[in-house]
Amino acid sequence: MLRYLVRRLLGSIPVLLVASFITFWLVRRAVDPLAKFRHDRDSARVLAEQRKALGLDHPVIVQWWNWLTHFVRGDLGTSTRTRDPVSGMIQHALWPTLQLMFWATIVSVVVALLLGTYSAVKQYSAGDYAVTGLSYLGLAMPDFWFALIAIAVLVTLPTVWFHLNQPILYSVGLHSPGDSGLNLDYFRHLALPVLTLTFGAVASWSRFHRASMLEVLNADYVRTARAKGVPGHQVITRHVLRNALIPFTTVTALDTAFLVSGVIITERIFSIAGMGQGFLSALGAGDAPFLLAWFVIGAVAVIGMNLLADVGYVALDPRIRLS
Amino acid sequence: MFGALVMLTALSLTLAACGSKTSTTGAGAEPTTAVAAVPNGGTLVVGAEQEPDCLDWLGQCAGSVWGTWIAQIETQPMAFRSVVDGNDIKWEPGAVLAGEPKFVAAPVETITYNINPAAVWSDGVAITCADFQYTAAQQQSGPDIYDRTGYVDIDKVSCPTPKTVVVTYKSGKTFAGWQALFSSGVGILPSHLLKGKDRDKLMKDGYTWSGGPWFAKWNKGQNITLTPNPNYWGAKPHLDKVVFQFETDTSAEFEAFKSGQVDAIYPQPQLDVVDAITQGLPDAHSEYQSKTASVESLYFNLSKFPFNSKAVRQAVGYSIDRDAIVNKLFGPLGVTKAVNSLNPFVVKDYSDPNAWAGYHLDLSKVSSLMTADGWTKGSDGIWVKNGQRAAFTVVTTADNQRRVLTEEVMQPELKAAGFDMTIKNTSADNLFGVMLPGGDYQATIYTASLTGITPGLCSVFCTENIPGPANDNSGQNWSWASIPAADTQMRIVDTSLDDSARRAAGAKADDILADNNAALPLDPLPDILIWSNKVVGPISDNPVEGMFWNIDQWGVKQ
Repeated sequence: MLRYLVRRLLGSIPVLLVASFITFWLVRRAVDPLAKFRHDRDSARVLAEQRKALGLDHPVIVQWWNWLTHFVRGDLGTSTRTRDPVSGMIQHALWPTLQLMFWATIVSVVVALLLGTYSAVKQYSAGDYAVTGLSYLGLAMPDFWFALIAIAVLVTLPTVWFHLNQPILYSVGLHSPGDSGLNLDYFRHLALPVLTLTFGAVASWSRFHRASMLEVLNADYVRTARAKGVPGHQVITRHVLRNALIPFTTVTALDTAFLVSGVIITERIFSIAGMGQGFLSALGAGDAPFLLAWFVIGAVAVIGMNLLADVGYVALDPRIRLS
Repeated sequence: MFGALVMLTALSLTLAACGSKTSTTGAGAEPTTAVAAVPNGGTLVVGAEQEPDCLDWLGQCAGSVWGTWIAQIETQPMAFRSVVDGNDIKWEPGAVLAGEPKFVAAPVETITYNINPAAVWSDGVAITCADFQYTAAQQQSGPDIYDRTGYVDIDKVSCPTPKTVVVTYKSGKTFAGWQALFSSGVGILPSHLLKGKDRDKLMKDGYTWSGGPWFAKWNKGQNITLTPNPNYWGAKPHLDKVVFQFETDTSAEFEAFKSGQVDAIYPQPQLDVVDAITQGLPDAHSEYQSKTASVESLYFNLSKFPFNSKAVRQAVGYSIDRDAIVNKLFGPLGVTKAVNSLNPFVVKDYSDPNAWAGYHLDLSKVSSLMTADGWTKGSDGIWVKNGQRAAFTVVTTADNQRRVLTEEVMQPELKAAGFDMTIKNTSADNLFGVMLPGGDYQATIYTASLTGITPGLCSVFCTENIPGPANDNSGQNWSWASIPAADTQMRIVDTSLDDSARRAAGAKADDILADNNAALPLDPLPDILIWSNKVVGPISDNPVEGMFWNIDQWGVKQ
C-alpha cells in the first residue's frame, strides 16, 4: 500500500506541473500585474521597477519556473491587493473553508446514503418519488438562490414572526463577534452554510447511489442470497450497500474537491472569510499571486481526492489490489 | 481628489420614508432620532459592505472609502472635518485644533494652526507640530503615497511652538482647497511612533494607537471593532463596542438586518436595495437622500471616433431620456430627475446645477445636429459618415446591476436615434486600472465621488491631466478632453484664493463642458441609511464622511 501511495504521489507530480503551467499562463493572460501601477504619478519608473521585480521581462516559461521554485519552498509571493504574504493569507483563509468542506461532506455523504438507499429499496414508492422530486429541486436550484431562500425562511421569518431578539440560526460568519470555539454558537452559524453546500451535493449523490443500489439489487448474487434465506436487512447492508459504495466513493471523492465552487458563493453570502471569499476578492482586484496559489491548491485537492478514492476502493472491495 | 470610484456613496433630494419611522431632508440632514436620552454601554453591530485592503491611510492600498468611514475618522485626528450644516455641508476645524486656523493669501499662502492644548495620543503623548511635520513630509516625499495633492507645493512646515503649526507654500504656488490638508484621507499621524520607521508596515494591518475617540481592531475577513479610547480629550463614546461586520452581499446583508444580526446598514443604492426598502423594513428607521458627494455619468473618450465630434456627443445627449433612467432606478425612492452638473451636490456652490438641463430626448435635434455634421442615415437606420457607422461600445463594471440596467435602457433609445451601441463590460480592475488610463474605450459609465468638499473638475478634464509623459501617465483626464476655455475656468477653481471667483469659474466650467457634452451626468445616487429601533442618537447622513461620522454619539437601548 505504501509503495502504491508513493508511486501515485510521484505520478501526480507531472500532472501538477502541467496544471500549474496552464494556470500560470492563463492567469498571466487574464491579469495584468502592472495595471495598478499604470497611473502612478511616477509610473514610468514604477513600471520598470515592478516589471523587473516581478520578473515580467522574462519569457512566460521562465516566469513560471521562477514562480514554481519559490512556490515549492513555501514562498507563494506577495498579494498585490493587500501586500501581505500570500502564504499567510492562504493559511488564514483555508481553515474556515476546511471546516465548511468537512461538515458539508460528512452531512452530504450520510444523508445521500440514507436517501439513496431508501429510494432504491422502496423503488417507486411515494417516498421514492418525494426524494426524487427533492433531488431534482436540489440539482436545479443554484447555490446562491438556495442560500438566500434559506436565510429568509429559516432565519428572518422565525425571528420576525416570533419577535425573537436573536435568530435561532445565524447567517453571518462562523461565530458571533468575540466568540470562538466549538460551541452552540458555532453550530448555529454553521447550519445554513453547510445546508447550502449539502443540498446540491445530496441531490446529486443520492440519485447516483440509488442507481448503484438498484443495479446491485438486481444482481444474481443478491438473488442467490435472498434464495438462501439471508435476512433482508443483511442482504442490503452486507451485500448490496457494500458493493454499491464503490462507485459512490469515486463520485463523492471527486465531487468533494468540486464543492469548492459552491464554497465560493456560500462564503460570500454567509460572510465567511475563507478561500472562496479570498478568491472573489483576488479576482476582482486582479491579485495574480493569490489566484495562482488558489488554483494550485485546488489542483492538489483534486489529485488528493482522486488518490483517496483509489485507496477507498481497496477498503471496500477485497478483490481490488493496488499494484 | 475627484477620483473615480466603484461607488459606494451617493445622493438625493427626496427623502421619503420607509419602515416604522423615518426621515428628513437635506444633505446631512438634521439628526432624525431624539438626541436626548442616549444610554451608555452596550454593543452595536453594523453591516459593512466592504473590507478595506489596508489601514495605511496614506498608502495606495487604502483607497476603500469604507476604511475611511469605519476606522480612519474614528481613530485619526483631522485638522478639518466635513460637517453637515442645515442644508449644506462645510469644513469645520476638527477637535485637534483650538479653533479656525489663520489663513494668509499673500505674499505667499500661509496657514497657521493652533493645536488644542488638551489633544493627546492614546499613549498620553501630546499631539504637536512634529506630527504635522511628519505627516506633511510623508505626503511630500514618503514612499507609496496614494495622493500627494496639496502637499507637493508646500515650502515648509515650521513649529514656532510645539502646539503651533505654520504651513508655508512656495512662492507663486497656491492651494485653494487648503482645508483638505491634514484632513480627509490623510489626517495627522503620530511622529513619535512612526518617524524613522516603516509607516506602511506599522499601519497596514491595523494599529494600536489612536488620536480619536476610538481604538480600531481589525479582525481580517470578519470585522473591525471599535472600543473607546480612554485618553481621548473630547466627549467619550456612549457605546462600549461597535462591531463593523463585513457583509459583501447586499441581499444577505438585508436579511441579517431584518433578523436582528446587525443593527444598522449603509447599503449601496443597488436595485435590490431599492426593492427591499419599498417592501418595508419592520421595526426600523430608514432615510435616503440625493444631496451627496457622487455623480454617475456617461463618459466619452473625446479622442476616439465617433466622440471626437462635438456634434455626435451633443446628439447622444439628445438621444437619451435621462430622467426615465433615473426614474427606473430610483423612482420608488422618489428620486426621478437626472442631475445636470458633473459636480456633486456637496460642491453645488461651485457649479451650475442646470448646466445639462437642456439635454433631453429630442430626436429632431439629433437629426439636425448629425446632418449638419455631415452624417446621413444608412439603410439600417444608423448614421454614416465617410463610410463609418455611428457605432460605439460602452463599457462599465460587469458586477454592478445598476450600471448594467442603465446600459440596457440606453441601448434601444440610442438605436432609435441612429446610434449602434454595443455593451461590453469588464471587471473594475480592468476598467479603472487598464482601459480608462490607457484610453482604450469609447464610452463608459462610472461614478465620480468626492472624498472631501474640495470642488473642481480640473483633475479629470484639464488638458494637462491627459495621461502622458508630462505627468508620468498619472493624469486622470481619462476623457482625453482638451477644451481650452473650460481649462481656464477649471484652473481658477483649483488655484484661486478668491472664493467668489472660484464659484463663478466653477459654474462657467460646467456650462462650457455641458455645451461640449464632454460627459453626460446621469444618476443622483441616493445615500441610504437604515437602522433598527434599538439604536438611538443623532443619526444622520454625512455625504462625505458617511453614516458613521458621529458614531461616538450613538447608543443602544439596553
